[in-house]
Amino acid sequence: MSWAYFWSLFSISLHAMVPITITAVGEVIGESAGLFNIGLEGILLLSAFTGTLGARAGGPLLGLLAGLATGLGIGLIFGLICAYWKGSQMIAGVGINLFALGFVAFGLQVLGSPGFYTVPRAVQLPPIRTAVGAFSPLIPLALVLPFLVHFVLNHTRLGLKIKAVGENPEAADVAGVPVELVQLLSTAVGAALAGLAGAYMSVSWLGSVTKEISAGRGFIALATVVFSGLRPLLALAGGLLFGFFESLATWIQSLPGIKEAVPWQFISMIPYIATLLVVAGVIGRARFPKSLGVPYRRE
Amino acid sequence: MSWLWRGLRPVLESVLAGVIGLGAGALIMWAWGYNPWPAYAALFRESFGSGYGLASALANATPLILTALTFAIGARAGLFIIGAEGMMYMGAMAAVALSFFRLPSGFHAVFALAFAALAGIVWGLVPALLRILRGVHEVISTIMFNWISHFLAFYLVANVLVDPVRAEKTISVARTSRLPLLLRGTDLSLGIVVASAAAFLLYVYLWHTVSGYEIRAAGANPHAARYGGVSPQKTVLLVFLLGGAAAGLAGAVEVMGRPPTYAVYSGLTNIAGFGFDGIGVAMIGRIHPLGIIPAAVFYGGLQAGARLMQMEAGVPFEMVRAVQGVIVLALALPELIRLFRVFVRTLSPKRRPV
Amino acid sequence: MANFLVRAEGITKVYPDGTVALSGVDLEVRPGEVLGLLGENGAGKTTLTKILSGLLPPTSGRLLTPKGPVRFHSPKDALGLGIGMVHQHFALVDTFTALENVALGLPRLSRTLLRKRLEKLVEETGLKVPLDVPVEKLAVGERQRVEILKVLAREVELLILDEPTSVLTPVETAELFKFLRRLKEQGKAVIFITHKLKEALAVTDRIVVLRRGKVAGEVETGKTTAVELAKLMVGTEVELKGRPVELSLEVEAQAASGPRREEPALVVKDLFVRADTGEWAVRNLSFELFPGEILGIAGVEGNGQTELVEAICGLRPIGSGKVFLFGHEVSDLSPTDLYRLGLAHIPEDRWKYGLILSFTVAENAILGMQRERRFQFLGFVRAKAVREHAGRLVREFGIQAAGISAPVKSLSGGNQQKLIAGRELTKDPRVIVAAQPTRGLDIGAAQFIRDLLLRLRDEGRAILLVSADLDEVLALSDRVAFMYEGGFTGIARPAELSPEAVGLLMGGVKGGRG
Repeated sequence: MSWAYFWSLFSISLHAMVPITITAVGEVIGESAGLFNIGLEGILLLSAFTGTLGARAGGPLLGLLAGLATGLGIGLIFGLICAYWKGSQMIAGVGINLFALGFVAFGLQVLGSPGFYTVPRAVQLPPIRTAVGAFSPLIPLALVLPFLVHFVLNHTRLGLKIKAVGENPEAADVAGVPVELVQLLSTAVGAALAGLAGAYMSVSWLGSVTKEISAGRGFIALATVVFSGLRPLLALAGGLLFGFFESLATWIQSLPGIKEAVPWQFISMIPYIATLLVVAGVIGRARFPKSLGVPYRRE
Repeated sequence: MSWLWRGLRPVLESVLAGVIGLGAGALIMWAWGYNPWPAYAALFRESFGSGYGLASALANATPLILTALTFAIGARAGLFIIGAEGMMYMGAMAAVALSFFRLPSGFHAVFALAFAALAGIVWGLVPALLRILRGVHEVISTIMFNWISHFLAFYLVANVLVDPVRAEKTISVARTSRLPLLLRGTDLSLGIVVASAAAFLLYVYLWHTVSGYEIRAAGANPHAARYGGVSPQKTVLLVFLLGGAAAGLAGAVEVMGRPPTYAVYSGLTNIAGFGFDGIGVAMIGRIHPLGIIPAAVFYGGLQAGARLMQMEAGVPFEMVRAVQGVIVLALALPELIRLFRVFVRTLSPKRRPV
Repeated sequence: MANFLVRAEGITKVYPDGTVALSGVDLEVRPGEVLGLLGENGAGKTTLTKILSGLLPPTSGRLLTPKGPVRFHSPKDALGLGIGMVHQHFALVDTFTALENVALGLPRLSRTLLRKRLEKLVEETGLKVPLDVPVEKLAVGERQRVEILKVLAREVELLILDEPTSVLTPVETAELFKFLRRLKEQGKAVIFITHKLKEALAVTDRIVVLRRGKVAGEVETGKTTAVELAKLMVGTEVELKGRPVELSLEVEAQAASGPRREEPALVVKDLFVRADTGEWAVRNLSFELFPGEILGIAGVEGNGQTELVEAICGLRPIGSGKVFLFGHEVSDLSPTDLYRLGLAHIPEDRWKYGLILSFTVAENAILGMQRERRFQFLGFVRAKAVREHAGRLVREFGIQAAGISAPVKSLSGGNQQKLIAGRELTKDPRVIVAAQPTRGLDIGAAQFIRDLLLRLRDEGRAILLVSADLDEVLALSDRVAFMYEGGFTGIARPAELSPEAVGLLMGGVKGGRG
């Protein structure tokens, strides 16, 4: 294997890691506060689309911002429904996913190209060019973010409040912490990060938007959160692992003889099977907030 | 009269959620520059205003009923099974695969359906075991299996089941294996009867058998159920079994009952989406088998009318799925009607004390 | 002007379901004293202190400070005035360390300052506890210290402790008392809620006794005795003849009051059962239950009764020891197996184990029996048989419901309980374990259940009755055992007990001697 090839695989790895890591770290925040958002997939899809719109309108940064705002908006709605109105988190998450599927397909049709839209090169996020290849600026962000979130959750008062709300909302309430507000903001921030990840996919990495651009990554992020046991640094590890599997798939295909013998469809399955194996192997060892998924009702 | 209200209340909630969903759709349309009124007019006119349209609605409802049943039976047991999409693909593959064999007419279709149901069951087996043995949450495992199934089906459609003459589709389902059409010139096949029968049977199962009683108990109160002798592991297996069978059947009826091609297109374009839509349908139908049938017809109608909506008003037909998403979001609220009353009260003008 | 910290005047608390928890209670708390708040279950002690600490609003009455009347909207307000409460069920985040738990309520202090303050507190109060270990890894006594430190760190003038010694060993209790005396010397006030007479006498300056939501009496600790306190707690409505009796822990095999066979129906031997917290809730308990008798277990809740019942009925694993049902060992059998051997259970937590709220009356009527031949045929439910069975239950037990298809959550508590009792009893059990069977029921329903239990006893069945309602236990039981800290302080026939003896036994005095 030549160095150039190695670096290109490495680049795939890092690029694939970004949406998983950012989304997973965001969900870690939300789940630490006790809210379980399975609508991440929908947020990724939706913000990939709105990111494209934003980029078309005002350049790549606006695109990223649009994605972030989309995630934030959905997160606020989700938080309102689930934290304040004590709605079912699972059902709301499914609603978000369905809505996203419909809305993005609808939007793509309106844009004139049903199912597929290429983001004009001009408004894609320019990559950082190094000696070994082109890397998206969001990669370093995705590498730093877990450390930031780890610091906030474990070494600040804010983090203390968030974790208290997820673990024992009654104790938090008695201590004077505004439980619902903390839950709302935590899940909104988490969703905003997922929004950023979605916009990244269209504006910075893949350069296009399709109906299936999220490809289950929202759920893989959820699996990563499970794997991480709500530890942001482990979420980074999970994201890197997933990125590795994606590049592994590419590499396997390039091996002599493989391309003819093994159909590409089976290679594509690798990330999903791998995720399954990791989750199956790890469950039972992780420890989750006692009040995860349970709406807090004052007695 | 309280029992009447009790029965009516979920229906009202679904209707209310439906209104909210349609309202949100109108908002989106208006925001993008479309006029909602002619759009909705076309939508409803097509789906429910003509016999033809109604037949289309029913045809669309067929696979939706079945995939909705998958989610519903899981939900009744307290599980969140969203793997109907993947199970359905396998069922479709199985139904097509059986067309490699020659069997007498009638039997062929029955065997194909059975084989498809089996395929769905097999596809659900691993997530079920992962849940029982390793505690893996079924949301994650079934989604991963959806994607694995997606690619596996891609492969089968392009390589194993491919039509030698027209490579963009699989072989057509053998004539002896096709479901007879109920109405000439439409898409409506015997599949609707199969689906409705399945829904009815599931209703009978859940409310009139001991095993169904135990499933509902486990979902409603796992502690009391355990106290009453219900085994949680057996419940998981049973539910995945029934749900997998239903989803497998969904895939089968879609290929065996859809003229003119009776095949699966590459990219799975003609069968994709029914699994997820089924989840929404199940929620609108309040996860009750008998409620799922009208909910599926409603949504199937929306899908049928959406094409006309696109033609006449220019609104892309995928809008209906977005509407469905908002309906489900509205249904997430625990006391929709109570919140509605509160909302109405805040809108009404305040009276001055006389 | 008398020197006081806070005064409660005419406090009344009525819950939304109509229960009157407190009625016209006056209380004055003075600095530099430990005030004991004594009373049985349901007397209103916890409710009163929850009002004082801002967690609950009073229905009527007011709270006064030297500066004037106050109204609390949340615990924060009360803390602002220097009133803090240590709850019986700790409000701690398990995964946090002690330091983090305290920091939760004091976000404005920096970590270093907080640590300094805590370390100073630990020194001053003698409440030693590791500050950097996750609370879930600490022993219960240490956790309680964290809870106390949490409140003290907010610089309170009045510290309210709700049954603090219920989770402490005698050594830890002595430490706690030392600490309370130190607080007193600092001029702070303490309200000490307890049902344990000896402790109340040991550490308090004044004692207020509550009974059924009203103040039954107020005494100076130095001038009172355990006997007098017991009388105030229990009252004289319970009509008992008699004299203090020499009691022992041995089961009185001769104390029969009904038809009795030689062989006991239920035997519990050297039983140890763990509570959820990991501590032993039941300690080395042994007793026998005979057919044709009601053995009542009295005592303040939290002394192991719940765990005992759950262990006997297959809902909680046994630590060590054995349980025998008519000679067969049944330790750790499942509820279904126990039912087949003739045990029925009316559960204490009726919504968790007893009923499925969203199911109909008919569906609940067969819970546990759904696989029996009489209710199913080839896997199908025999709807008619179920309906008849449910109908019979409704008639025989006078269950008020909108029909057997009504969801059980629409029934009142009393009717729900009747349904459970009826269902369990149609299993034709030989042994019935009834845990808090009349809790929360109106008088009519409660009376019904009591009569039912007596009738069952007369039919020759064996009944184990666990109840926090002392009157009920004494009135119904042939023999009554008093449970305290996982064991029995005594077993006797109610007729042989004086009110003083009862109070003493409940308060932990073995043998019932003051």
